[in-house]
Amino acid sequence: MQQRRTIDQIHTNRVLLNGQLDTPKWWAPTVIGLGFIVIIGFLVIGIMVNKGLGVTGLSRPVFWGLFITTFVFWVGISHAGIMISAILRLSQAEWRRPVTRAAELLTVFSLLTALLFPLMHAGRPWRIVYYILPYDFARGIYPNIRSPLIWDPVAISTYLTGSTLFLYIALLPDLGNLRDRTSGWQNALYTVLALGWRGNPRQWKLQTVGGILLSALMLPIFVSVHSIVSWDFAVTPAVEGWHSTIFAPYFVIGAVHSGVSAVVTMMALMRWLWKWEDFIRPEHFDALARLLIVVATGWLAFTFLELIFAVYGLDAPELALREMQIFQWPWWLLFVTFVLTGYVIPVGMWLQKRVRNNIALMFWSSIFVNIGMWLERFLIIVPGLARKTPFVYTWESYRPSGLEWFILFWSLTWVTFLMLLFARFFPLVPLFEQKESQTFGDSIKIGRARVPAILREAD
Amino acid sequence: MSKSVLGLFTDANKAADAMDSLKAGGYPLGTFDVLTGTPYPEGAFGEHVPQHRLFRFPAFGAIIGFTLALFITSTTSIAYPLVTGGKPILSLFAMLVILYEMTMLSAVISTVVGIVFESRLPNINPGAYDARITEGWIGVVISTDDEQASHAASLLESAGALEIKQA
Amino acid sequence: MASEAIPAKRIHSAAHDEEHHELPARVEPQVITAELIATTEAGRTRFRTLGWTLGILFLVGTIALAVKLVVDGGDQTQWGYTAATVAFIFSAFGGAPMVAIAPVLAKANWAKPLSRIAAIFSFASVITTLLMIPLILHLPPLVTEGARRRSIWFEGPDISPHFWSMVAMLTLIIAGLALFYSAALPDFAAMRDHSSGWKQRFGRIMARGWVGTTVQWRTMRMRIGMAGTFYFFTFVFVHFIISTDFGMSLVPGWRDAIFPMYHAISSIQAGLAVSVLAIWFARRYLKLEKYLHLDQFWSLSRLMFAFTLLWGYFFISAFIVFWYGRSSSDQMWIELLIRGPYIWAFLAGAFFIWFSPWWWLIWNRVRRSANGPAIGSALILIGLLLDRIRLYVAAWSVPPERIHERFLTEIPKTIWPDITDVLIFIGALAGCLLIVLMITRIIPMLSVWDVQNFNLLYRPINYMKTRAYLIAKPD
Repeated sequence: MQQRRTIDQIHTNRVLLNGQLDTPKWWAPTVIGLGFIVIIGFLVIGIMVNKGLGVTGLSRPVFWGLFITTFVFWVGISHAGIMISAILRLSQAEWRRPVTRAAELLTVFSLLTALLFPLMHAGRPWRIVYYILPYDFARGIYPNIRSPLIWDPVAISTYLTGSTLFLYIALLPDLGNLRDRTSGWQNALYTVLALGWRGNPRQWKLQTVGGILLSALMLPIFVSVHSIVSWDFAVTPAVEGWHSTIFAPYFVIGAVHSGVSAVVTMMALMRWLWKWEDFIRPEHFDALARLLIVVATGWLAFTFLELIFAVYGLDAPELALREMQIFQWPWWLLFVTFVLTGYVIPVGMWLQKRVRNNIALMFWSSIFVNIGMWLERFLIIVPGLARKTPFVYTWESYRPSGLEWFILFWSLTWVTFLMLLFARFFPLVPLFEQKESQTFGDSIKIGRARVPAILREAD
Repeated sequence: MSKSVLGLFTDANKAADAMDSLKAGGYPLGTFDVLTGTPYPEGAFGEHVPQHRLFRFPAFGAIIGFTLALFITSTTSIAYPLVTGGKPILSLFAMLVILYEMTMLSAVISTVVGIVFESRLPNINPGAYDARITEGWIGVVISTDDEQASHAASLLESAGALEIKQA
Repeated sequence: MASEAIPAKRIHSAAHDEEHHELPARVEPQVITAELIATTEAGRTRFRTLGWTLGILFLVGTIALAVKLVVDGGDQTQWGYTAATVAFIFSAFGGAPMVAIAPVLAKANWAKPLSRIAAIFSFASVITTLLMIPLILHLPPLVTEGARRRSIWFEGPDISPHFWSMVAMLTLIIAGLALFYSAALPDFAAMRDHSSGWKQRFGRIMARGWVGTTVQWRTMRMRIGMAGTFYFFTFVFVHFIISTDFGMSLVPGWRDAIFPMYHAISSIQAGLAVSVLAIWFARRYLKLEKYLHLDQFWSLSRLMFAFTLLWGYFFISAFIVFWYGRSSSDQMWIELLIRGPYIWAFLAGAFFIWFSPWWWLIWNRVRRSANGPAIGSALILIGLLLDRIRLYVAAWSVPPERIHERFLTEIPKTIWPDITDVLIFIGALAGCLLIVLMITRIIPMLSVWDVQNFNLLYRPINYMKTRAYLIAKPD
């Protein structure tokens, strides 16, 4: 399977910059349509802030519901970027090249979206300032750093800042390219953003070394972020099902599972929408699917351990919780759907080479994964709160209101909207990486066969 | 008055030869450079391999971030000694998370500053340049004084430059 | 303005260019075969001395084990160090074959010369299995007087831990054999064709008619992939069994879902360390620099560094949950395994397995050498031993009559090793090394065909005005 072909730089520029230089016809109507939904979404959030959280389904004893689930979901998606970009960069995997930018972008936008959910969930978002920032010198009241709810904003803002900067640094050569291809105000914009990039050996070397160094720094941050999110739950012994030592790596690997799947979704869309068949090829989907089989199976092992050691203690409340989660209506339906869509169906599909190389099937399998992974978070967060426990005298199960469902849907449009907006001004596939793979890609003749090879610098 | 002379090539090997003839022509290393639209293996043009000190930046940033985080977490805890969850006022393991994040954040920011700085960006006066470099042409650029400019241009031309630009 | 695309490069092969030394040279296939097969004969006297020494140590260890069975038989609390020894040798030597699996499946060329030596370490499971037998005899029953203790066997029959741990270990031995043998056929054929005496006869039997047809190569690749996957799953399963049945479930109230994974992660870390030490010795004493380049050390130590950080991550993930939990069982965990009678093992273990390799392997200059990674590996293995002592001696020191408590109310005192414990450890280690040493006498410790394949897919070239190399990645 040698799908790499020789593509000259002019063609690369023309095709990969078509979003900026030759905006497709569907772009404006789509963005306007999405923008409309985005505005409505903000209005709905405004209504919620005005009326209070009573408009949601949250009530005693379930105070963490769909918003927190969706927060965890988007933080999970955000793990795609650094996973793909950093790990594949460090391991010098060639097939990373068309994927990295889109993956990093997904990180940035999904984190931005994730941030909105705790804000909404707070009811009065401005009050969050009280507990995050150490500013109240007058009264001598400072954040309680022993609370994991402080760790979250610190970790997420670190991750957001880091990945945005990472994205920008890797964008520099392409900004220089855009500067050379544009005129007028666009040229002025790209000239400023490109910082006078020229492409001399020093700049290229720093681009390579810096990319590796930033990857190495971003990886530990990426691991810490979802771990910290998981500790929001795990350090709370009061809620059954939350106090488990495995939560941190379990959340991280689940996040990678959902995030890489989201990258597959996005790659398929990019290939279809901008017609990048030459650059985003079935071999890339094949490689991503192979990676996903490993990640998904690892994740399944963690799920298994989480369940086994939940019942291992043989504590009656914990056993009752698990029984409810897996066997009682309506939770069992969610649980079965979660297992089927999160693992059984997609991995069953990916095991076949035919599916791995079929972009439409890959697209749908990746959607399945994210349905399953959203349900997973819901099943972790809500049942533990919903079960009747001693000294709770009013309780009822949780049913998200229509408004909550709308905001979940809205967050999907919001991320798509941001992506499309970005794609109008910046290339989604790193051009210089494509060109580099052309320079460094070669083949070795062994007998009668030409085996694809990659050039490595001697150092 | 210094001048920047740019020779444009389509053949990478000719550009490499031009670098050689500039070296042989007595121009000191560091005054001439090669511009490409894609990274080439280091030393492919026989160019002066650039040295950098990028690795110092994250270390420096990490130390600053750690110190700052230690200061903020410990002083705010002491200044507002409210016992929560039965934890000690100075809870090392809780502080650890914030220490870690701020250390890493500061390391990343200083690395990015380092990349920009070591790339010698922002470059307000970039000198002679041509947009076709990002289309696959290769530029050999030399900064020299006015008298030498024509000599440099002739060297580039004889090495096979298709076009010469001056700025 | 019209501009034209340009051909990007001009490459000409310079395989025999002798001017530069930084790139490893290519070696002719027949030289590889001859030199690597010769390693099975190299240093006869030295080998004999080493073999006898290890054999005697193994014998002494066996006698010590017999003495311990007589003296301490029936007293569970005295078997902690034996359990720690089992956990240590299983973690270190059982983890090494991972080096032969993951990078090879990921088509990492650098791992090719290491695949054989890594796979050979799976034979050490024989010692692990044998040493597990006295431990199995001392496991407390699942049900005493109608009361069932916590275990992963829930409603299973009373002998579940005893039975399944043996099954798991035997499966691991089979998986290791499969992994080793599936990749060894071409080399047995090479011995059949290029050695003499009993080795030639042995090679002929083992090669099973291998001549290297396309079909044979294809099925062999498939078999390696399958055996590797099989080994990996068995490996994780055995960690699950050993860490719970021989560790966690002996302590009432210890409920720690991450523990099996923590166990497996530190095992892979130690497996990498064992591989590094093995190739370090091979380079030094068998003069295999031509085949074991700094690239192998560099790549292995990068992985080792990553796993060192992962150790810290998995530890803190468990610790912070217990520290925040503050229930009696949470506090008991911290008291027994961290702060209490084994704090010395905890502090020293964390220093050796995590802190010191972290700050040692972080330097690229250290990683890009042979000695640097070897020192890092030694640190990690010392740390692993201390870590296993902390976990297993503490777990086994809990008297069996307390096992039905909700959580441990009274922390047992420190148990220090006696002379039999030390001798058993040394004997077990010597036994493992002896097996590995014997196998390197039967078959080359570097896989001949893998090294040839590495050479085939690797090509130093001149690229314009610089030196570079090409790595082929066949599908």
